[in-house]
Formats: sequence, C-alpha cells, structure tokens
Amino acid sequence: MKKTFLLLCFLFIMAGCQDRIELEQQSYVIAIGIDSTDDKGTYEFTYQMANPEVGSAAGQGGSEEPATETVTVQGSDILSATFTANSFVSKKLTLDHTKVIVVSEETARSDDFIRVIQSASRTPQVRRQVQMIVSKEKASDFINNNKPLLETRPHKYYQTMLTRAIETGIVPEATLHRFFQITEGDADLFLGIYATTEKSDQKSASEGAEDKYIAGEIPQIGGSPTQFMGSAVFKEGKMIDIITGEETRLAHALDPTLRMEGYLATVPDPMMPDYRVSYEYSQAEMPKIDIHYHKDKPTTINVEIEFQIEVIAIPSLVEYTQNVAYRKKLEKEVVTRLEQNTKALIEKSQKEYRSDPFYWSLYVRKYFKDIPSYEKADWHKKIYPNAEINVTYTLDKLEFGKMINDSKLDEVRD
Amino acid sequence: MRKMKGSQKQNKNKETIHYSLSANIEEMKQSFSYGLNKDFAMRTLKAKYNEKKACLFYYSSIVNGDTITTHIIKPLLEQTGEKLSNIVTIENVEEVTDFETAIQNINSGKVILFIEQDSTAYSMDAADFQHRTVTKSENERFIKGPQDAFTESLNTNISLIRKQLHNHQLVNESIQVGKRSKNEVNIIYVKDLVNNDILSNIKKRLDDIDVDSIRNIELLEQYLEERPYSLIPTILYTEKPDKATAFLEDGYVILLMNTSSACLIMPVTFWSFFHSPEDRYLRFLYGNFSRAIRLLCFYLTSMISATFVAIANFHSEMIPPDLLLAITASRERIPFPLIFEILIMEIAFELIREAGIRIPNPLGPTIGIVGALILGQAAVEANIISPIIVIIAALSGLSSFAIADLSMNFAVRILRFIFILAAASYGMLALTGAFLIIFMYAASIKSFGVPFFSPMSPEFVSTKDTIFRKILKKEIYRPGYLDLKDNRKRSE
Amino acid sequence: MQNKGFLRVREIAAMILLLVGVKLSDSTPALLTQKAQNGFWLIPVISFICIFPSFLLMLYLLKKYKDKNLVHLLEAILGKGAGKAVSFIIFLFAFLSMTLDSRNYIEQIKLLYFPESPTNIIFLIFMVVVFLGAKKGFEVIGYSSWIGLPLIKASAFTIIFLVLGDLVLQRIFPIFGSGLPIILKEGVVKASMFAELFYILIAYLATRETAKFNKGSIIAALIAFFEILIFYFIYITVFDYNSVAKIAFPFHDITQFISFGEFFTNIETLFMVFWLFAAFLKFIIFLYITTWIFGVIFEIKDFEPLLLPFGFLVGTIGLLPFNSVINELHFRETLLTIMSPFFIVLPVLLWVIALLKGGLRKK
Repeated sequence: MKKTFLLLCFLFIMAGCQDRIELEQQSYVIAIGIDSTDDKGTYEFTYQMANPEVGSAAGQGGSEEPATETVTVQGSDILSATFTANSFVSKKLTLDHTKVIVVSEETARSDDFIRVIQSASRTPQVRRQVQMIVSKEKASDFINNNKPLLETRPHKYYQTMLTRAIETGIVPEATLHRFFQITEGDADLFLGIYATTEKSDQKSASEGAEDKYIAGEIPQIGGSPTQFMGSAVFKEGKMIDIITGEETRLAHALDPTLRMEGYLATVPDPMMPDYRVSYEYSQAEMPKIDIHYHKDKPTTINVEIEFQIEVIAIPSLVEYTQNVAYRKKLEKEVVTRLEQNTKALIEKSQKEYRSDPFYWSLYVRKYFKDIPSYEKADWHKKIYPNAEINVTYTLDKLEFGKMINDSKLDEVRD
Repeated sequence: MRKMKGSQKQNKNKETIHYSLSANIEEMKQSFSYGLNKDFAMRTLKAKYNEKKACLFYYSSIVNGDTITTHIIKPLLEQTGEKLSNIVTIENVEEVTDFETAIQNINSGKVILFIEQDSTAYSMDAADFQHRTVTKSENERFIKGPQDAFTESLNTNISLIRKQLHNHQLVNESIQVGKRSKNEVNIIYVKDLVNNDILSNIKKRLDDIDVDSIRNIELLEQYLEERPYSLIPTILYTEKPDKATAFLEDGYVILLMNTSSACLIMPVTFWSFFHSPEDRYLRFLYGNFSRAIRLLCFYLTSMISATFVAIANFHSEMIPPDLLLAITASRERIPFPLIFEILIMEIAFELIREAGIRIPNPLGPTIGIVGALILGQAAVEANIISPIIVIIAALSGLSSFAIADLSMNFAVRILRFIFILAAASYGMLALTGAFLIIFMYAASIKSFGVPFFSPMSPEFVSTKDTIFRKILKKEIYRPGYLDLKDNRKRSE
Repeated sequence: MQNKGFLRVREIAAMILLLVGVKLSDSTPALLTQKAQNGFWLIPVISFICIFPSFLLMLYLLKKYKDKNLVHLLEAILGKGAGKAVSFIIFLFAFLSMTLDSRNYIEQIKLLYFPESPTNIIFLIFMVVVFLGAKKGFEVIGYSSWIGLPLIKASAFTIIFLVLGDLVLQRIFPIFGSGLPIILKEGVVKASMFAELFYILIAYLATRETAKFNKGSIIAALIAFFEILIFYFIYITVFDYNSVAKIAFPFHDITQFISFGEFFTNIETLFMVFWLFAAFLKFIIFLYITTWIFGVIFEIKDFEPLLLPFGFLVGTIGLLPFNSVINELHFRETLLTIMSPFFIVLPVLLWVIALLKGGLRKK
C-alpha cells in the first residue's frame, strides 16, 4: 500500500514534466512587432526579450550584455512564430509578460490586419491588457531603434512610458481588449497609440502649441528617439488615419470609457496675444452624453463637459486674478478654443471617418429592444454621420494656484 | 481512597496477610529480594502501646527518613495508647489486608507496618520522590502571563492547578495503568461540568491499555490515541499549568502523571493547537493581532515553499516582471532544478533544527555559525542556491516556530514536504488538491467524539473563539461540542 | 455514512451554493450567448422563475411526507416500481450532467493552465482528489464547504471589485439581446441549469431537523441565483455582445484581464486556486449525491464503496474523444433541454398525484 503510494507520487512528479519549466529555460517577450511581408498570410514577427542578467545584482558579469535580445522571424501567427524563433533563440519564448504589440502603419492599414491580430486573442498567453502601438516605420525597426536610456529593462520602459503618456491624454488607452470590443461591436472607431522612432518634418512649438503633434514631429534634443504622440484611427479593424495629440485629448474628454488625469495646455493670452497663458485642464466628472434617437430625422447628440482649470503661468503678467472682466475673458477664450477644436474633430469624424472615436454608440443602444433592430439602425452608416451634435464645455472652476498675484512689472522695473 | 482498578486480573499475589509476623516478614523479604535489593529496608521494633513485635518495610530511596523516624518509629517506641492511629503522627494510615496492595504501596513510597498477631498491615505515606523544583517554562514561553511550568511531581502539579482553580468540584481521580510497573494516571476534571460520556470514554481507554508499563505521559498519549498513524495529533500536550486550568474551566479533562512535567488535555479541536493562553492575557486587539500573525505563519510554514515551486515552475506569468527577471538571473548559474534547491534548503533547515536540539550546551554557538554558512551567503556564492530560495526557506523555517505545540509543529513540517512534492508534480492543481484532501482529512478527524474543526463547522454554542476571539465579557458559553453539564460561563 | 446530525443550515447552504453557484465560472455563459447574445444574463432570471416554484413544491412534499428523501418520496407517491424508475432517470440526469460538467472543468484547467499536459493525467488527478474527498462522507464535505466558502466567495468579490473599473454599463443595451421571445424560450429551455437543486434533495434527512434543510436550501438557491446573475452581468458589461459569444470561459478571461495595480498584472493563478477549490468541492458533492441516489434506488445501505467505480466511470466517459466545443455546445445543450421540462413538470405531477391519493391530508 505504502509502496504503491510512493510509486504514485513519483509517477506524478515525472508526469508533471510536460508543463513544468524552469524559469531560466524561458525567454520573456516584452514587445511583439508585426510587419507584413510581400506574401499574403505571412508576417514578420519581431520579439523583444528581456535579458534577466542586466540590471540585477545577481547577474555577475552580465553587464556587458545588452538589455534585450530582439529577433525577427516570419510566420503566420504570433504563437507559431515563437517556435520558428527557437531555431536561433536558445530558450522557450513566453508571451505572458508581453506589454505591447507594435504594428507597423503599413500592416495596420492593410485589410488583413484583423486576421493576424485575431490570433493574439486565441492564446491565453497574450493578455487583454496588452497595449497596441502603431509605428510609423516597420515594427522591427521601431523595436530595434527604441533605446531607452534610463530604464534598462524594457518592460519597465513600456510600462512607465505608456502609463504616463496615457495619463496626460496624448495617446489613448489602447488595450487589445478595447480593440476587440470596439472592432467586434462594429460601430465606433478604435484609437491606437501612435509612435515612431523616426524624425519627420518637425514643427516648431508655436505651430504645435504643446500637443498639436503626431509622433515624429516633436522637436527634441537628447533623450530616447522614440516619441509617443497622437493616435491611429481604426475603422472596422483597419487603420484609416492618424490624429494629433490634441485631438486624442479631446477624444479622451468626450469618451466616458477613457480615463485621463488632466494635462497642461496653453491658450493665447486674450489681453496680450503675444504671450500664452498656461493652465492645467482636468475633468472631475464624466462627460454627460445625451442622445435622442429619431428614426426618420437626424439624431441629436448633446454632450456636456464640466471641467476645471488651474492657471499655472501668466507670462504676460496681466492681472487675471483680481480683475473680474479679465478673468471672464480668459474663461471665454479657453472654452471657445476647446469648443472650436472639438467641433472640428467631430466634423472630421462625421464627414471623413463616418463614425465616432468616442464610443458613443453605447448611448444609443437603449433605444433598441433587441440587437437585430439595433444593427439595422446602423450607427456608423446612418445614425452618426447624420447626427446633430452639440458639445458644450462648462468651466466649473478657475483656480489660480498658490500665488494670489504676479509681480507687477512696473513696480519691479521701477 | 484509591481505587484498585485494572489489577484484578493479575492475582498471583492476591493472598491475604498472615496472622504471624514471621510469615509476613518472610513473604515480604522474598517478594522484594531483601538483601539483594539494596534500598529495600526493613526495621523491626517492639511497639510500646501493645507490647508486640512490629516490622516496617519501605524503600529507603523513595521515602523521607526523617518522617519515618519522628512520626512512625519514635511514637511506636515511646507512646502509649489504644490504637495505632492514635500513636503514629503521620498524615494518613490505611489498613491493608493483602500482599498485593502492600507491595504496590511500598512501590509508591509508603511504609508498611506489620504487627505480630495482626492480619492487617498498616500503610503510612512517607513518600519523597525526587523531583525538580517548579521552574520557568522552557518550551512554551509567554511574555505576559504566569511563567511557572509543571514539574515531574504529581503533587506539585496538582498544587499548581488547585492554586488557580479554587473549586471543590475539581476532582483528582487516579487510575493505575501497566501490569508490571503499576503507574498512576491522575484524571483531573471539574465534576459538575464534565461530560460523563467523554470521561468514561477516557477511563475505558485507560483501562483497556494492556501493556507492562507506561512510564510517563508522553508514552500514554500514544496509547490513548484513536489513530496512531494519523498525521494530525488528537491530544494536546502542555507544560503550562495556566493553560491546563483554562481547559479545565471549560470542561475538558486533564491527565497527569507523577513522572512527567506536562499534562495531556482532551478532547481537542484544531483551535486548541492554534490558540495560546497568551492570546487571552493580551488585550482584545493585541491578542487578535497575534492570532492573525500566527495564522499567517501557519500558511507560510506549510505552503510558502510549495507555492513558490508551483508558481515558478508552472505559473511563472504570475510573478511581476522585475522579480521574475531577478530570480531568473540568479538561477542562470544554478546547476539544479528549482525543486531541488527548495528541498536542499528545507532539509538543511530541518538538519540544523534537529542538531540544534541535540547539541550539548557548550557547543551551542557552533550551530549558529554552521547554520548561517549552510543557509546563507556561502551557499549562494557557491552557486548552489539562489538568493530568493534562502529567503523562502528562512521564511518557512522561521514561521514554523510560531506554532508552539510540538505535535502540530511536526505535522505542519511534514505537510510542508508533501505540499512541495505536490506542487512540483502539477503546480497549483496538485497543490490545491493536496491541500483540500488534507483539509478534509483534518475535518473528518474526531478527538474523543469531537469534530476537529468545531465549533466553526459543525457549529456549536460556544465562545466562538476560533481564529479570532471576542472580548472576554462577551464570552458567555462554554464549548457546546463537549456537551457539558453547565453550558454557561456567565449570565448575560 | 457517518451521519450524526451535526449539519446545520450553514453547511447545507454552503454545499448548495458550491454545487449551483460555481456554474457562473464554467462555460454555461458561452452556451447561452450563442442564441441570446447580450440578453443572456436575463436567462437565469427566467430559468429561476420557472424552476424555483417546482423546487419549493418539492420541499413542500418532502415536508408533508415526513422522514423521506428524494427517492423514498417518489416511491411513496408513485408506488415502488414507478418511483424507482423515475428516480433512476434522475440519477441518469445527475450522472450525465456530472460527466459533461467535469469534462468542461478539465478543459478549462488544461487549456488555460496546463496546455501541454495530456487531458488524461489532469482528469486522473482531478478525479483522485474528488474521490478521496467524497470518501470522507457527507458531513465532512459539509464542514469543508462551509469553512472553504468564505475564501471562495472572498476571491469572487475581489474579482468583482477589481473588474468594476472596466464595466461599461451601457453594454447591456439593447436590453433583450437577440429578442425577447428568444430569451423567454431559452430561459425555459435552460431552466435545468438549476437542476442540481433537485439532486441535493437526496440529503433531505442529513440535518437533524428538516426545517434546517429547507431554510438552508432556499437561502442558498437565492444567493446562488444572485451570484450567477451578477457574474453574467459582469461578463456582458466587460465584453461586448459580439465578443462574449466567442469566449468559451468568460470567468477565466476576466481573471486574466484584471490586474492588481501596475505591478501585479497577471494574477489569474491566484483566483484559479480558489476556483479550483470550488470546482473540487462541487464535484465532491456531486459525486457523493449521485452515488447516494444510486445507493438508495438499489437499496444499498453502505454505498460509499461505490464512489470509486462511479468516479472511475465519470473519468472514463468524460475522456471520450469529443472536443470541448462539441461537448459544450451540443451534448450539454441537449441534456439541459431534455432535463428542463422534466424538472419543471415532475414536482407538479407529484403534487397532483399526492393530492389525488390523499397523501397530503394525513398530517
């Protein structure tokens, strides 16, 4: 009895070998790149793996090794290509810790993109929280050129970089989960993170005003060459356009399912247009979206956004804090600018994209009793493009920070 | 009066005491191999009160010589009076009519007096067994609470208990066990509380023990158990009188022997092993805090190594990437699989533990040095062990000390190895399965009819003192699973 | 049977909660969404409304005919032969549901956590644990369920808490999914998703006073129903209607999706442990009561030795080489469809017969 029991124990331990794998027998993929090739159905997959010995105290002599190993192989889907990669990578590639999937713009714009990305949802290894980045250049180039300076470990880089960029709203939260929900919901536009390591025609700051860039356009000296800015617009699983960081922020403000912490922005000083007033924009409450669906006439969509701003700097030294009239003017300036920009974005989406990047289709659903009638009403062909949309921004609170007054120029220059 | 149970079957010496003194002397001399047996003493004298010859028998090693001289011999030689009981000044005198009893009495430290032309012998207590004095508890330590511990003397131990429990219902009953060496086992209980079924069950088990001798309580424990092969103990062993008294007050039964510096408490539940009396001496929050820590220790010591093996070998996705890379980096140069590393460390820890108990006092400090070498930096630098394993093993070893009860401690330490092997075989699946089986096994155990996890499940009226205790004022009931005669501690 | 009457309301409730409530984590949702789309979370409501009165009726009958368990009750009302026949049908249902369900759970474990191990070995380990657990007897199962339940429920609540931020409430609209008629029909047809409630009636005499069993089972049935409802609601609000139909194991997709702050991103194994506890306990209870029903039908007093052959049988049939999709979408659906009318109608039928026979007037 006891002997058989012991035997059984050993049997189990032996049998467990199939799934048991030692930590050092695996390579942890942090980023996956997807590029299309000339053959339909074949893709180039780039895997960026972390080198565990770099950046850990236990790794003796590992400091000369690079922090990551990047390999590119051809294959038909994400998982099977890892096995091909094993012909020259010594360890088993594990996708559990993947943080980002990088797709080249070219691939994202192709019709077949949905096919290759679909395979990612089939394996339990790739999580739904993985962020999707669209790179201007080839994904393999993006991953190879991406050389973060301060974060030696790649996963840390992606984690901190994206968290911060998403918090400030210049790139959207673009998890695979969101991608699939929106794409399969077949109504709205999905926004992917847009990034590049290549410099393109750089705009100067006055044109850009902090956030009117897309990645690659930001003048930069020093630091890592990689820029995250703006978003790639996907319609029905296919990329159709790029929007700037500013537009991405507006999309954040309008979409209740996206979260943004607030950002710093500037407006031209209404009193002295040569200077700009900087403020911190924040939105304590979700936008109120009120859709009135009408079967035969255009649907009306009313959106109300309450926001707060805190003035950070007034280089013109105008006395906004004390003077009510000035302050009103400043408030008006901010609201008008926001409304103008929003209007432009909505117009673009209605005319050009013929769908919305704000996930508003959710709010029209309640007018339908069942899915067939909802699908028949057709949000992105019939309802949205013809809708009348009014967006009102309400400035809830205007704060001036810890200084009551700026130094008076004429007194200083006495 | 002491009851003579369990001895009836063996009656080769059942003959009654003779009328003639010389025959009695001869009988006694033969029984105790007088002359060969160096400490067996005989003293003949002439009693003054009835002018007859008398003879005293005793073991000189286990009686108090002064007592005999001043309270037996001197009065016999000098005093006059009617009856023997009026002459000797010793505490109690019992009449004995057969040799078997006489022999037993001598063995337990009494003096037997034979008198010419008297078929009754007199047994007088002058026992003085050597024992330690009451010392501080060595193995169960408190910061707050009484510090005394039982010692190897029945009278002292009972005195320690009675000191705390002033109750005339506290009964100290004795049963003899063993055939060749008849040792006394004392059953202590509160008469108007205890459940008679449990009490008679215990007595029956004591009666049923059919063995030559049971020297001490530690051996008795194993004779009383229902399931000797079981991993989980069903009798509680403690050396603290205050702990024993607390259980007595709740209606439990306690066994004591003259030879052990501890007592047995029964029946038990899981909570008896989990609790420490100090939880109640500490204030409500502090006591429960230490309970919470102890619960964590239970988990850590039994499962942490196994959990680590399961996660690292099967579910590596769970480890946060930074930690994962650090562990991986340190494992790159280790020549063994992870399970081997863990086993090496766990066994090394057990080695140090076992050796540490056996090591003679003067060599004590060595164990620390050697231990630190095996379990520490040296092993890591030799690339045998990765640093995280040292932490894991240290954690599981350290927390094992929080389980104060020795039996439970062993059980958990053995379980640890079972869990490690299970985790190594099929990760969390096997680990969860193994835990569930063992848990259900524990739930199925009954100690003297009491389910192991009561009063949590099955539920009983009780103080609800399981993982956490209530404030003392809210403890109204005694444990309902004991089915006591008086179930209330206090009125509301 | 080591039945000493130690079981209380809480143990009965815990067992029923585990037996029925764990359903929220298997692929029943996938089965329901195929037709009902995002209206599927309403199906349990309809099912429960359909089957709960029947269950209460059953409890009422058991109360009237004192000291009888499920099989004895059937025999008392329908006569010995017919009663045994109907009981045997119930046994078959229980046995088949257990077999199909167990395969489903094994697939979940294998696909998500042990992709490279053979199904046989996982099945073997699973059934060994289930058998050893069931061997401990009904009372111990009860105790373990009760002690284990808080942990299992705490993990479920943690999941709910962590996923709250990702809920998009508007996804429940259009409220009736693919249409009200479909939902109503599916609700009735799938009413047997609560069929386990009837199997546990075999243990009607396990508590000292049957009132405790009544109370425990009704409380547990209600809680289990709400749990299922809440989780189905979460599935539909996390995944949109097109996605949820594609996901075979939404519970595990949720656990893979949630993260605990930025540093613990892949915490599904943590929940898998508690889910496994629940699954083990569910099948321990299931195996035990199925064997019990069998034992009572064939008047085998000491039925516990039968646990091993039954466990073995479940393993063998469960391992028949159908893939999980066929198993789930075809066999299980067929079984549920057959079982639903049976369990809805049977108690009513019994009641009518009992009324005609005058069995209810006795007391």
